[in-house]
Amino acid sequence: MDNQLKLDIYRKMLLSRRLEERIAELIKAGQVGGFMHPGVGQEALQCAAIATMRPDDYLLYAHRGVAYWVARGIPIEKILCDLAGKEGGTNRGKGGVMRVVYPELGVLGESGTLGGCFPIAAGAGMSIKVKGEDKVVLCFFGDGTSNRGTFHEAVNLSAVRRLPVVFICENNGWAVSMPTERSTAVKDISARAAGYNIPGKTVDGNDPEAVYDAVKEAVERARKGLGPSLIECKTYRLWGHWVGDPENYRSREEVEKHWRRDPLPRFEQKLLDEGLLTDKTRAEFEAEVRAAIDKAVEFMRNQPFPKPETALEDVFSESTAG
Amino acid sequence: MPTITYAEAIRQALIEEMRRDPSVILYGEDVANFGGIFRITAGLKDMFGDERVFDTPISENALVGGGVGAALTGLRPVVELQFADFLFTAGDEVVLKAGMWRYGHGGAYKIPLVVRCPSGATGVGPEHGQCPEAFFMHAPGLKIVSPSNPADAKGLLKSAIRDDNPVLYFEHKLLYATRGEVPEHEDFTVPLGKAAIPREGDDLTLVAISAMVPKALKVAERLAAEGHSIEVIDPRSLVPFDRETIIESVKKTGKIVVAEESYRTLGVGAEIGAILLENALEYLDRPLRRVAIPDVPIPTAAVLEAFVIPNEEKIYQACRELLS
Repeated sequence: MDNQLKLDIYRKMLLSRRLEERIAELIKAGQVGGFMHPGVGQEALQCAAIATMRPDDYLLYAHRGVAYWVARGIPIEKILCDLAGKEGGTNRGKGGVMRVVYPELGVLGESGTLGGCFPIAAGAGMSIKVKGEDKVVLCFFGDGTSNRGTFHEAVNLSAVRRLPVVFICENNGWAVSMPTERSTAVKDISARAAGYNIPGKTVDGNDPEAVYDAVKEAVERARKGLGPSLIECKTYRLWGHWVGDPENYRSREEVEKHWRRDPLPRFEQKLLDEGLLTDKTRAEFEAEVRAAIDKAVEFMRNQPFPKPETALEDVFSESTAG
Repeated sequence: MPTITYAEAIRQALIEEMRRDPSVILYGEDVANFGGIFRITAGLKDMFGDERVFDTPISENALVGGGVGAALTGLRPVVELQFADFLFTAGDEVVLKAGMWRYGHGGAYKIPLVVRCPSGATGVGPEHGQCPEAFFMHAPGLKIVSPSNPADAKGLLKSAIRDDNPVLYFEHKLLYATRGEVPEHEDFTVPLGKAAIPREGDDLTLVAISAMVPKALKVAERLAAEGHSIEVIDPRSLVPFDRETIIESVKKTGKIVVAEESYRTLGVGAEIGAILLENALEYLDRPLRRVAIPDVPIPTAAVLEAFVIPNEEKIYQACRELLS
């Protein structure tokens, strides 16, 4: 990973973290409604994996946080407008912050039911293959979601059709209140790749360089028509399942242990050690990020809510193939 | 105009649309090498190659959800389910993904997807013999068609493939072998949302769906011999639904019978009844009669199946009751 890319990933991780902190403040203060599943602690893998994508590739992100969209380059004021259900977002108040969509960058949207992403990803892979393109699909999901039947169907179908899909598991140890060891028969989700005769790899999800290298390899393989891969990124959900989760199912000690492995200060320290970042540039980044968020929040506050009758729009497309 | 079967009409529509538009693909269980369990797609793999016509694993969720993903990214997939009942197997992908992806994402994407659903009771029991259209009429975002004859089978399928929305295309298994005149030219289509009136009449409106249409026409013939003029309406599309044609007919006849192979409760007839209550109550001079499956699963043994599935005699009796 070159120096510029490292700094870029760091800035996106930082922006994602600060944006989620602000969103949590807005929700707790009752200033926006919204249904937000924070991704604090998982930004490293999200930003690093998405850094492997070309602009014309397809993305199916998971429900954990804003970093996917920040990493892909979706303007943050649009994310905030979707959260608030206002005009100026990406989905006209129809899907909330769970369905941020951006066709210009291949961001296909999100399935509200966990695991709905897998068949959609395989379908996008079919399109690429039928058209003879060399695009890829990145499909993110959690350890809990890997227990859906759709995972089996779609990964198997992708394997037998050699579809260019990279399945990226964010194993954060918890599915709401259910720890992975009680929900999932394998220790490593990547072991499931053997069931589909595809490459499976587990990496430290809090190390952006390790994630980037593993996903890059899988993406290149897919571009060459060699089929899907499964990458498991071990990480940890530092916040609750949603903003306001009482978290009565896990110990404070466990969470504190993982805060000491928080990928953001860890990567920051690495960049400081490598001389890519200084205290001065770090402070400048922080200031830039905060200013960008302030501006985006202001934009969101000034946006109107959609006209109520637009609830009746967008069910069907009026167009046909002629 | 050539006379062909309903099955051949479906096949013609697929071939014509695949020739017309390279973004149309076709896949499902046993559709390519075997040609489909009802032989509709025999030979298509050789015509269009195995990227555009292919066999899949037994994975209904991945088939329909994959169709949504392919549609989002520029293809016009036609997915064959072996039996309409398997829509329930793929329920999330049908109702929540195909039906709601566009809406939930603010209209950012179009979903030109067709799911072919062989329907109807043929001695195959509760999980392979249903006509489940009414379940999906309740789901926003899905178009639904149920052709009753070869010309409509072809014309509606061509319109469904060209439509930029998900369409559930119900092809009744007992109609596959029926014959009728079908236009050959490539531009022939039947618009979605427009009912047909295969027989005009003044005394009673008989709405029939899918395989009930030929039965209804025979009943109308029998009643004509008894001096009654029956108007038979074939909605063809259930979503969008041509309310006007039914309302106008009832304004003329004052009496209506609905014959369908759905379960009685909240079936198509229930919706038609509600439409008439809202729009034409003052024109009804007799109560609506529904001829539908009593609310039981479809049994397998022929004698039991025949007892629950609407037939000519049941339709005739319902009409007689209103005409007396």
